[in-house]
Amino acid sequence: MLSPRWRKILRDLWHNKTRTVIVVLSISVGVFAIGMIVSTQIILSEDMASGYHATNPASAYLYPGNFDDDLVEAVRRIDGVQEAEGRLDWLSVRLKVGPDEWRDLIIDVIGDYDDMRLNKVSPVSGAWPPPKKGILIERNSLPLTNASVGDVIEIETSEGKVRQLHIAGLAHDMDNPPAQFIGRPFGYITFDTLEWLGYSRTYDELHILVAENTTDKDHIQAIADQVEDKIEKSGQTVYWTYIPEPGEHPANESVQPLLIIMGVLGTLSLFLSGFLVINTISALMTQQIRQIGIMKTVGARTTQIVGMYLGAVLIFGLLSLGVAVPLGALAAHAMSQYLAYLINFDLAGFRIPPRALALEVAVGLIVPLLAALYPILSGARVTVHKALSTYGLGKGIFGRSLIDRLIEELTTATQMLSRPMRLSLRNTFRRKGRLILTLSTLTLGGAIFIAVLSVHASLLTTLDDALTYWNYEIEIRFSRPHRIAQIEREAMNIPGVSDAECWSGNTARRQRPDGHEGPNISVIGVPADTNMIQPTILEGRWLLPEDENAIVVNTEVIKEESDIKIGDEILLKIEGREATWQVVGIVQGIMTGRIAYANQSYFAEVIRYVGRSSGVQIVAEAPGDASSPESTSKHDPTFQSELAKKIKTHFDSRGLQVRQTETTASIRENIEYQFNIIVIFLSIMAVLVAIVGGLGLTGTMSINVLERTREIGVIRAVGASDASVMKVFIVEGLFIGLLSWLIGAILALPISKMLSDAVGMAFLEAPLSYTFSTQGALLWLSIVLILSALASILPAWNASRLTVREVLAYE
Amino acid sequence: MFRRWLKRNRSVNGASNGRYRNGNDHLIDLRQLVKAYQTEAGPFFALKGINLKIDTGEFVAVVGKSGSGKSTLINMITGIDRPTSGDVLVGDTVVHTLNEGRMAVWRGRHVGVVFQFFQMLPTLTVIENVMLPMDFCNIYSMRERQERAMRLLEQMDIANHANKLPSAISGGEQQRAAIARALANDPPIIAADEPTGNLDSKTADAVFELFEKLVDEGKTIVMVTHDRDLARRVTRTVTLADGEIVDELVRERNRLQSPLALTETIDA
Ligand SMILES: Nc1ncnc2c1ncn2[C@@H]1O[C@H](COP(=O)(O)OP(=O)(O)OP(=O)(O)O)[C@@H](O)[C@H]1O
Ligand SMILES: [Mg+2]
Repeated sequence: MLSPRWRKILRDLWHNKTRTVIVVLSISVGVFAIGMIVSTQIILSEDMASGYHATNPASAYLYPGNFDDDLVEAVRRIDGVQEAEGRLDWLSVRLKVGPDEWRDLIIDVIGDYDDMRLNKVSPVSGAWPPPKKGILIERNSLPLTNASVGDVIEIETSEGKVRQLHIAGLAHDMDNPPAQFIGRPFGYITFDTLEWLGYSRTYDELHILVAENTTDKDHIQAIADQVEDKIEKSGQTVYWTYIPEPGEHPANESVQPLLIIMGVLGTLSLFLSGFLVINTISALMTQQIRQIGIMKTVGARTTQIVGMYLGAVLIFGLLSLGVAVPLGALAAHAMSQYLAYLINFDLAGFRIPPRALALEVAVGLIVPLLAALYPILSGARVTVHKALSTYGLGKGIFGRSLIDRLIEELTTATQMLSRPMRLSLRNTFRRKGRLILTLSTLTLGGAIFIAVLSVHASLLTTLDDALTYWNYEIEIRFSRPHRIAQIEREAMNIPGVSDAECWSGNTARRQRPDGHEGPNISVIGVPADTNMIQPTILEGRWLLPEDENAIVVNTEVIKEESDIKIGDEILLKIEGREATWQVVGIVQGIMTGRIAYANQSYFAEVIRYVGRSSGVQIVAEAPGDASSPESTSKHDPTFQSELAKKIKTHFDSRGLQVRQTETTASIRENIEYQFNIIVIFLSIMAVLVAIVGGLGLTGTMSINVLERTREIGVIRAVGASDASVMKVFIVEGLFIGLLSWLIGAILALPISKMLSDAVGMAFLEAPLSYTFSTQGALLWLSIVLILSALASILPAWNASRLTVREVLAYE
Repeated sequence: MFRRWLKRNRSVNGASNGRYRNGNDHLIDLRQLVKAYQTEAGPFFALKGINLKIDTGEFVAVVGKSGSGKSTLINMITGIDRPTSGDVLVGDTVVHTLNEGRMAVWRGRHVGVVFQFFQMLPTLTVIENVMLPMDFCNIYSMRERQERAMRLLEQMDIANHANKLPSAISGGEQQRAAIARALANDPPIIAADEPTGNLDSKTADAVFELFEKLVDEGKTIVMVTHDRDLARRVTRTVTLADGEIVDELVRERNRLQSPLALTETIDA
């Protein structure tokens, strides 16, 4: 049988359902946020790793030109090499996705589909292996092909051969980036099909797996060096070796910062939830003071009282866990599933990771206990005398401090305020401790909400900045180099083209001081005074016409080559030749990969292409639709691809064979896609914070009013109408809401700046273009006003319906 | 257990330095009690040097005008409030020097307190309210608590309301329940502040009769009351005015064989 004191606690919880619900929800939001984020983190990390692991990922990738199975066999025999496999990687062809519409299709060739050993591609549906003249499409990229399984697609090889391929099925490949990120679909064919397309049966990418210390990058490097030596002894050059982070899914690098940011927001939500608990528990203790007095009168010790109320908090915590754990698990599952889809891997199934559960339990029980400790201790310590003498209507301390007097003068001075208005303001400031708690909770909620939306806005501004990066519309790549003068002359002859500028491009790899090679960097030779790109210069300067071996790198280069400083000399290997370059500037990368810019004239000499180029950038004339000038812009994707078609036809007819056209609209789409992932996540967090904050607001306000139920009764007993009672509380609620909004908005400034810098550093290696979200602030203002009004009206209305007798009996 | 306490006290009867451990000869011994409240206009003296001795089995009524210090005085005996100076000796205990925790335990076992208003915890039933002191002081077994509470309610004639919430019974019934609760731990002293203050005269009379019965059973009762009629039926009346005892009347109650003599005169 339960002892009376525990029965009291349970019955109080049941009796004050509104309050119980508010407290339980307050705790739940914190537990939910933490649970969702930590579970997502764990599920993603585990499943991404285990899924990736199951494909048996290679430790290193070597690029020794063309090779065959003999070399693979030889490599397999090298000591320290566990496994080796050859692939033909990244064969780019043009895929017809509509009438006169083409998109690049990336094809990988696998020697034996039934004996894949490394970076295994797995069957999803349809044929396996793909039949001759058939192709498997990576499951994520099917939408980009505008076709479905069973359809026949038309492709054009780099040699200009047009072939019909049959989509025989779908495959899953974790080694290629998700198709949406790069805007190009992936396909898989056999050597037979490759030959039929007019290419020779060779590999160009060697995957190796080391036998031991598979997670030791240095060891992998050493083995890769041995393999490289061996291959070079046989007379073949290894152009490049790439060693990924051992055992880590390639997307891990971008997922981690996302999760860390979510973790930060989750922690803030937890803080908020803690504040809510302090708030509600101290209100509860205030209400319980006289009962505490009675219990002490009949012999209860302070420790017993503290135990009782801590027990109540523990029950609140347990109830919250009941709410938050399942909801958090569902949300984590939904979120992981969405991320898994984006990153293109499969989840191992629905589950609650034990570590996440343990954390939720700890957070759900310990945070409320800690938060409640102070209000409970101070409530339980009250002496019987004090407890029973605060019998009357809440004794305030109004009219003491300087602030109080100021407020009083302020309120009496503002005679235009009606009496109930003044009463409200006076009420608001009467319980200063309570007011401070309420305000801090609401302010924190508001500040986080506005900060999240500001990061959102900053991202969009950064995106806009990124999108103005390209001041041209179309890039044309020819099958072979032509004279620049000829290209530009022909381009200017095309109607709709207002400017044309030839750039040179090539792939470089840095020869690091430690003797190893870095990853690919696209070096683009541009005229120093070009208007066609407008990168944001973060450090140093842009190119000058008189520059020779000067080079400007973007932040994505710095990410890999973090030792590079302005003024450094770096060694770049281009087409097998090494040359020294001086880094003069660093520009903002915009999710288009590692790019370095050099002065075109000098770069042309280096790559021995003087006066010739294999590509041209086109600036379009503004669409001259006089009837509706605003209907299309130069950024319009259809406008750009229409013009691209015309340009291709023109060049082709003049014997300048066009291999590829790319519109800046499509580049923008890819960048927007990548930004959107972050934006969506921030939006989820903003909604979460809004819920937490809104709940906090509602809870705090309602508690505020509930606490004064007796007062309402008395006001009514002396003849105030229901309407005027409600008005008092609504005015008070709105006033507190407004005040919290004001402080929150101010507080949001530094918080959002820090958060947006952090997000920028995590994703773009540079702070975002900071923008304060005025819209967010206004949105929070309206949320605050609506919720404050509602949260005051409802309990006040309830209270005003009580009879005077009920009110006086109300505890 | 209190019987043992009382017995033990009787066994030390005759000790040269007083009947109780601290040298006091009387169950309740208030010495030179002063209580000052800090107000904006300087200290306000609610009690101005009270000397009062009450023996076991006395039924004392404290009367006086509103604001005369009656509640303040009774709060000194129960330990609910502490004197600014002076001593509060109750039995073997120096009450005013106890810390809050010990005070609560002491009060729970030795003094049953009854107020005018608001006594019951609203979410506990009547019987649960009565069991509460036994729970907090952890005396009697779980079974005994229930039985004992029921017996007390029967004694107060409200056993039929045992399982109702306090809000569902009348003020008089609540007051009886409160008395039952005050008796839960079988304390030797009952301190009541206007227990009949908001009861009609008939109900008040019934409550008063309960008190008389308790006195007959050996309890010591100190009660604040405004009711002149009731005040006449006690063994002693202490009249307060402006924090001082201005009059004291010792009366023989018919059933008491030997009235307790007042040994000291009041010095102002
Ligand atoms: N906390 C306090 N601060 C200042 N003065 C106080 C305080 N508590 C009581 N007093 C004053 O002490 C005096 C005695 O109060 P007390 O409550 O003992 O009166 P009472 O005789 O019980 O009156 P009533 O019959 O109205 O209950 C009163 O004048 C009262 O105003
Ligand atoms: Mg009084």
